[in-house]
Amino acid sequence: MYVPENLDDLLTYLERHQSGVQLIANGSDLINRMQRRQVNAQVLVDLSGLSEFNFVRKDKGKIRIGALTTIHDLISSPVLGSRYDVFRDVAAKFGGPSIVNVATVGGNICAASSAEDLIPVLLVLNAKVSLRSKKGERVITLKEFLRGKRQTALLQNEIMVETVFDELDEQSSCAFEKIGMRNSLIIAILNCSVYLKLDKRTKRVDDIRLALNRVFEKIPARAKKTEIAMRGKNLSMQLVETAITSLKSELQLSSDFRASKEYRHDVAPVLFKRALIKCAERLGEKLVV
Amino acid sequence: MSRHLLKFNVNGKDHALVVESHERLLDVLRDRLGLKGTKEGCSTGDCGICAVLMDGKLVNSCLVIAIQARNKKITTIEAIGTSEQLHPLQREFIKWNASQCGFCIPAMILASKNLLDHKPSPTDEEIKQATRGIICRCTGYHSMINAVRAAALEMKKQ
Repeated sequence: MYVPENLDDLLTYLERHQSGVQLIANGSDLINRMQRRQVNAQVLVDLSGLSEFNFVRKDKGKIRIGALTTIHDLISSPVLGSRYDVFRDVAAKFGGPSIVNVATVGGNICAASSAEDLIPVLLVLNAKVSLRSKKGERVITLKEFLRGKRQTALLQNEIMVETVFDELDEQSSCAFEKIGMRNSLIIAILNCSVYLKLDKRTKRVDDIRLALNRVFEKIPARAKKTEIAMRGKNLSMQLVETAITSLKSELQLSSDFRASKEYRHDVAPVLFKRALIKCAERLGEKLVV
Repeated sequence: MSRHLLKFNVNGKDHALVVESHERLLDVLRDRLGLKGTKEGCSTGDCGICAVLMDGKLVNSCLVIAIQARNKKITTIEAIGTSEQLHPLQREFIKWNASQCGFCIPAMILASKNLLDHKPSPTDEEIKQATRGIICRCTGYHSMINAVRAAALEMKKQ
């Protein structure tokens, strides 16, 4: 384990050691994977001391969340009022307090498995991530960052410093739904996040974004065909039914030890409908089932 | 294998010891400091049995690499009550028969104490939220919720 003195020391170390290095934040996911011999690294590099990356800020119409912000600190942040209850949706089903207190936003994104809860939320928020190395900082979209199961665009000499997305305005809301095996500490069989921008006067869907932890096989992504089917139409239960038909044809899910493909196909529309109803409620609209 | 000097505070006492990279906080507490009250359950963060308080927050000590606890304040079950003077939570857990095999009790007591420190009059839902993530295979949890509720009342009287 290498424990850097400060950020500069860390980036210099990463520049010099370009292989066999594994970054560790607070370890709630990584330690498990190490015990299962799924991590192949000679040296762990400890990020947990970099408290400068534990923050939630509002900045010129953007929300900036530091990579080392814990899920607990994220939902307790006064910056994220009730408009951002989507993060409380996530935390409520993320794990018990002993996990929520240590798991970090950056860790959840960088773990990049098909079961991370923040990824679908940040995908519908069109989030970007900032990656820093000794040579400077680059900003890419989360979609570009995710390269497949446990694969990211993070280079060996880089660390993730923050994720950034546009503030939600009065017409927009966001929600998250998840299903797993246990209520207190679940790894998602499936999860789903919806972003909705609604013209409150005409009830027209100005914009909608929908993401699941699996859309194609085990890859978290947006369900874009379903989004297109809903955009510009009036929000009604009939539209939701049309969207569900589209979603069912768009998803190509697979089975694993957590659940079968068939179960996932059945449960996806339910999660989508629940998340959408919650989005509408957060905008003061009632969708009658 | 690299070695590190770990300076931290456990139950009000400062410690400085040399730890290896692979040692977990759980190992250091149990094997180096002899604090056997903290139990090892699943070792994967699923059962919550090994929970301790780190800077006032509940964490699974099996998922904390020892050196990451540097400069932190750790509270284990050994700091809660004494055999002569039990903590109200401990008294109520006995009274309500909320401890059967006892293996999850150190974590349950710490999680409940942490809750009562912040919320002296919790609702049943808040008690469930604070202790969720800790698995008990004996009690069915109801007696524990009763015990925490009773301890909260007891502590308010004092």
